[in-house]
Amino acid sequence: MLMLALESSAKAASAAVFEGEKLLGVAVENSGLTHSRTLLPMAEGLLKNLDRSVKELDVVAVAHGPGSFTGLRIGMAEAKGLCWALDIPAVGVSTLEAMAFGGPDMEGSMLCCVMDARRNQVYNALFTVENGKPVRLTEDRAISLADLGAELRAAKKPWVLLGDGAELCYNTLRGDGLVLHLAPEPLRVQNARGVGLAALGREPRPAAELLPVYLRLSQAERERQAKLGK
Amino acid sequence: MLILAIESSCDETAVALVEDGRRVLTDQIFSQADLHAVYGGVVPEIAARSHLEVISLLADRALDAAGVGRGDIDAVACTYAPGLIGAVLVGVNFAKSAALALGVPLIPVHHIRGHIAANYLAYPDLTPPFLCLAISGGNTMLVDVRDYTDLRVLGRTRDDAAGECFDKSARVLGLGYPGGKPIDDLAKQGDDTRYELPRPYVSGENPYDMSFSGLKTAVINIAHHAEQMSQALDKPGLAASLCRAVSESLVGRTMAAAQELGYDKLAVAGGVAANSRIRADFEAACRKAGVALYVPPLRLCGDNAAMIGAQGYYEFLAGHTADSSLNAYATMEL
Ligand SMILES: [Zn+2]
Repeated sequence: MLMLALESSAKAASAAVFEGEKLLGVAVENSGLTHSRTLLPMAEGLLKNLDRSVKELDVVAVAHGPGSFTGLRIGMAEAKGLCWALDIPAVGVSTLEAMAFGGPDMEGSMLCCVMDARRNQVYNALFTVENGKPVRLTEDRAISLADLGAELRAAKKPWVLLGDGAELCYNTLRGDGLVLHLAPEPLRVQNARGVGLAALGREPRPAAELLPVYLRLSQAERERQAKLGK
Repeated sequence: MLILAIESSCDETAVALVEDGRRVLTDQIFSQADLHAVYGGVVPEIAARSHLEVISLLADRALDAAGVGRGDIDAVACTYAPGLIGAVLVGVNFAKSAALALGVPLIPVHHIRGHIAANYLAYPDLTPPFLCLAISGGNTMLVDVRDYTDLRVLGRTRDDAAGECFDKSARVLGLGYPGGKPIDDLAKQGDDTRYELPRPYVSGENPYDMSFSGLKTAVINIAHHAEQMSQALDKPGLAASLCRAVSESLVGRTMAAAQELGYDKLAVAGGVAANSRIRADFEAACRKAGVALYVPPLRLCGDNAAMIGAQGYYEFLAGHTADSSLNAYATMEL
């Protein structure tokens, strides 16, 4: 079972290839160039270096969000194009869950995955590590820093922060009885290895049905709803 | 050569299968117009989201409708510019991944070149060179089509596209979005001399450059003035006067260019080519000048993927292919 995993929800883009549960390779690029330029060549190059053909793929896993709207669509359009051409299924994985799967796996760790969502919010989900794997404590959500701080405090445990919003949380919420740790730099942000690990236990589905989970309406829809609500 | 073609530059998601640039096996279009209508215009983020939702299903439907398999596809062509960047990105990334996985060439196609190529589908005997007026919601340009992939822009709008002028005018007349069709329908019942509208004068050296923002403003001012004075607005008359003004701006310049360059073939392309006043005026002018006129049927005038497959074939013959690093662009010279 050959799986390609794609991650393009934030600044860095990455691709990983798994044979069954075994990670064969990961490619990461953090050049600041658009993922539309870099992600597919990375996947293509990685497979080539592994002496495998794109045509051998059995499944494609992709981070379905939350994250940069455009970034998510680039990764997912590529996943859909590959799956359509090869007539193979796909697995959509939460960006935050992928982050937890790619993060520190010390038993009993409490993981707080956060991405900066702007407008005073973060995209967040909480996990704990059981039997070496993250177990979900909350759904993925867009939440204010203040509300997140209150939840973390209520748990009365130290939390490990992951994601590009980790430093923001660390600087804003720490103290007042809340103990926070920044995950080690190499494990802090999402990458395709985590996407693949999170996808391993999931049932692949038709790629046509794959949809991004933006967790947020477009600006035009928000403004229209606000107007109609008045 | 069978080309799978993908178009997603604005608010239509489209997938087509085209053989040798001339024969359309299938032409699947999903229009998002209803999604954008409540906003009075295309919302880029909503467009991009919608493209991604339907693109695989449209591609499946294309295979079914054409009765071909994935293995029959010889190349994948896609619109890579110009357009709403978030929207174009979906088609480009789907197309290049599909081409990679199928192991076939990837062909980037300029959207306006595609509009021009819609004429090759409608008229199997048409070959370059010819003169082409490309008029749509996003672009208005006069093009010297010297060969399939050797195109020179003779003149273009300095501001709004002709289609934009129709859309914005439709909005103030309360006709909704998209505005081309309702303006056209309304104009048929109106007197085209009812309102005095400007014929935009464009200063400078290029006699083929155009301008439509002044016309749009004039229509908006007339509508607002009537409202302020509580006067009845003759909407059919205004629509007819507008169609006449747009048509006269286009037809005069185009026929002058045909004469100066010595062309006896004129093609019209793009969504605004569907306007019946513009069609009729070009028919009359071409008859008088002894110029053969080519205007694609309505379905091929709007955005579609068949036209991308048609142009894609000639781009391929010219050696214009790309690799998996192909990007999408909001703007791009023809
Ligand atoms: Zn167009």
